[in-house]
Amino acid sequence: MLKLLRKIVQTGRVTGTVPLDAGPRPSLLLNAAHPLRGSVQIRQVDAGSCNGCETEFAAAFGPVYDVERFGVRLVASPRHADALVVTGPVTRNMAVPLVKTFEATPGPKLVIALGDCARDCGVFAGGYGVAGSVADVVPVDVEIPGCPPTPDDIVASLRRVVGR
Amino acid sequence: MIGGALALAAGAALFAIAVGAVLPVRQRVVWVGLFTALCAGAGGVAAAAVLAGGNTFTADFPDLFPLGGVRIEFDALSAIFVLATAVVAVPAAIYGIGYSARGPSSRPAQVAWPLLVWGVMMVPAAGNVTGLIAFWELMALSSFVLVLAEHHHNPEARTAAQWYASMTHLSLLTIVLALAVLAHQAGGDSFTAIRAGTDHIGPTTATVVFLLSLVGFGAKAGVAPLHVWLPRAHPEAPSHVSALMSGAMVALGVYGLIRVGWDLLGGGPTWWGATVLAVGLVSAMFGILHALISSDLKRLLAYSTTENMGLVFIGVGAAGMFASSGNQPLASVALAASMLLVVNHAAFKGLLFLGAGSILSATGTRDLDRLGGLARRMPVTAATFAVGSLAIAALPPLNGFVSEWLLLQSLVHSLPSNAAVVAVAMPVAVAVVALTGGLAAATFVKAFGTTFLALPRTVEADQAHESPRTMQIGLIALAGVCVALALAPTALAAPLQRVSLAVGGLADGRPIHTNGVYLQLSGIEAGLSPLLLATGLAVMMVAVLVVVRRGRLRRTVRDIPAWGCGRTVQTARMEYTATSFAEPLQRVFDDVLHPEIDIDVDHRTESRHYVQAIRYRMHIRDGFEHRLYLPVLSVVRRWGDGARRVQNGSIHRYLAYSLITLIVVLVVSR
Repeated sequence: MLKLLRKIVQTGRVTGTVPLDAGPRPSLLLNAAHPLRGSVQIRQVDAGSCNGCETEFAAAFGPVYDVERFGVRLVASPRHADALVVTGPVTRNMAVPLVKTFEATPGPKLVIALGDCARDCGVFAGGYGVAGSVADVVPVDVEIPGCPPTPDDIVASLRRVVGR
Repeated sequence: MIGGALALAAGAALFAIAVGAVLPVRQRVVWVGLFTALCAGAGGVAAAAVLAGGNTFTADFPDLFPLGGVRIEFDALSAIFVLATAVVAVPAAIYGIGYSARGPSSRPAQVAWPLLVWGVMMVPAAGNVTGLIAFWELMALSSFVLVLAEHHHNPEARTAAQWYASMTHLSLLTIVLALAVLAHQAGGDSFTAIRAGTDHIGPTTATVVFLLSLVGFGAKAGVAPLHVWLPRAHPEAPSHVSALMSGAMVALGVYGLIRVGWDLLGGGPTWWGATVLAVGLVSAMFGILHALISSDLKRLLAYSTTENMGLVFIGVGAAGMFASSGNQPLASVALAASMLLVVNHAAFKGLLFLGAGSILSATGTRDLDRLGGLARRMPVTAATFAVGSLAIAALPPLNGFVSEWLLLQSLVHSLPSNAAVVAVAMPVAVAVVALTGGLAAATFVKAFGTTFLALPRTVEADQAHESPRTMQIGLIALAGVCVALALAPTALAAPLQRVSLAVGGLADGRPIHTNGVYLQLSGIEAGLSPLLLATGLAVMMVAVLVVVRRGRLRRTVRDIPAWGCGRTVQTARMEYTATSFAEPLQRVFDDVLHPEIDIDVDHRTESRHYVQAIRYRMHIRDGFEHRLYLPVLSVVRRWGDGARRVQNGSIHRYLAYSLITLIVVLVVSR
């Protein structure tokens, strides 16, 4: 117990600071009057990813990067979501579920393609089980490049989306 | 007027029996239904006349039986039960025309049905011991025949009938004993004579009579632990018969208890009321828990009857306790609550059983896990069943709410009390009634949801059609009664006062003051206006609808399918079943219910790592049946086996017995 307390005191605060202009520039920023500005609830959809992007995405919500302090939250259903974060190339099996998820999300909504595979199928381009990139299936608003993108990139891009 | 109506009821019943015995099957069903409805309607008119006018009707038939005559004494207490019977019997009889055409149309069934209706109506009207027992037995036998009506294609009905016959005769035995002791000690057969002679009855005799009648009438009311026949017989009987048995017949147990315990004996010590209250509490909890986990629709309704009779017993027991501790105004409120609950229960439980029968005849099953999606296929049944479910879950603005509100008011306002037992029992009773209400809501969300909503789970449910017109009339009539009782329970304020005046030992005075719209309880700072409540709710609903509709007009609306986790195909197998809906609550009450769960996993022959099939079996036993009845039955069976050794079928041995008996008799009588 004492050891644990000492560890806590010694470690201190690990949450990093991420400057707003770090990382690649996202292609869209919500303007001041946008209803989603300041708080975006995200539903993540794995459309056929190798799970590299998921690992980095999860890290962005961990104690070190902690993107939740900027008003981004993960939710468990598209019914509760403002934005979908889609990872991986869209496989044949996931094309219909992705469309259904998109339809089930109430508007106004955003689709964020996370990682190179989501943007242009990456190394999986032309694979027999690949239906296409995310943009081929649903309209994409924001793209976050990288294979996988680092949590820093993800946090910066999401901050650009939320505007905080 | 009252005599004429009762004579008309008897005549209609006799005529219905006659046509049931002679006409060919098609006409038989129609005429029996119509005349049974007439019989019940005439009884209802007589009851309404007594309740409105406040006078008692008496008639004597001294030479009806060799050993004793029958006396009719129709007072307000009788009338409220006859009214409850008429409320359910008239629609059930009309419904029975359509239902019997495809079901129990045999001669015995069609003769027994008017007999049962008439018997149920005449039990409360009986004014002496002989009459009460005669009508009681008439009712028991005719309902027994009706439980057996469909035994040809339903072997379960035979076991059910055996249980029913045993329990109903246990009930008869104790009632006959109680009434015989009572009549003997009081020195008279008629109720008037018994009331006059109560002074000659010592406290011990009174207690014995009370306890015997509690067992006898409790068994008929289906309160725990004497309820075992109820979840068997109600599901197997034809549905209009179950409606009458559950709505009106079981209530006669309450009638008998009040009549003997508090009218004839004139009340007793506080523990009488406390015992009735305790039985009520156990029944209410036990009944609703088993209804909650039941996946057979009619069995669920039967257990819910145990629960509702438990609530009525709570009201009667509380009234007894208040009366004994000198709080007469509160006693009359508690009695009014239980009488109102009896009438309401007749209406909504009758409605639900008729609805269950409509589902059963359309799909051929009562298993909730094999139904689903019937709302679109059977709109009338669905709408009326919804009304019944709302009413039985005691939700405003329907009629169940008013009686439960009255009951809770009387229980809550008993404190502070100077009697210790009242101070201890009432908070427990309030908690149990509240918990029961919550579980009842969950039960009927389950019953309605799994039956009528979502996708049909079987082909039979998919191909279901709405029931014939006569059955729909029965359903709509009872739903209308539920709504009428919900909007204008004030109309029953004066009759309930007459009832509480009729039961001298329990309560006197006026339980409810009313100005037509507002109910004000006497002695309690509490009031309710069901009409205003309903109007308010209706206005709010219309307002919400208008706002939503206007909102829809102003912005673009997308219509997309319900969210199903993105699955490409959704089938009925993915739906919430009745069992899975109840599972979380069943887990909460694990310690009470003791479910037996078996999980068998079959592996593929090639490898133990691949599963071929998983079988999940859950069985919940009726605790009372398992621990109380089965041991008794096994002892009886062992005795029977012992007797078989003596009685083994050998003629020589029987001749030897005769010889030995003869010799013993000669030696003894020498």
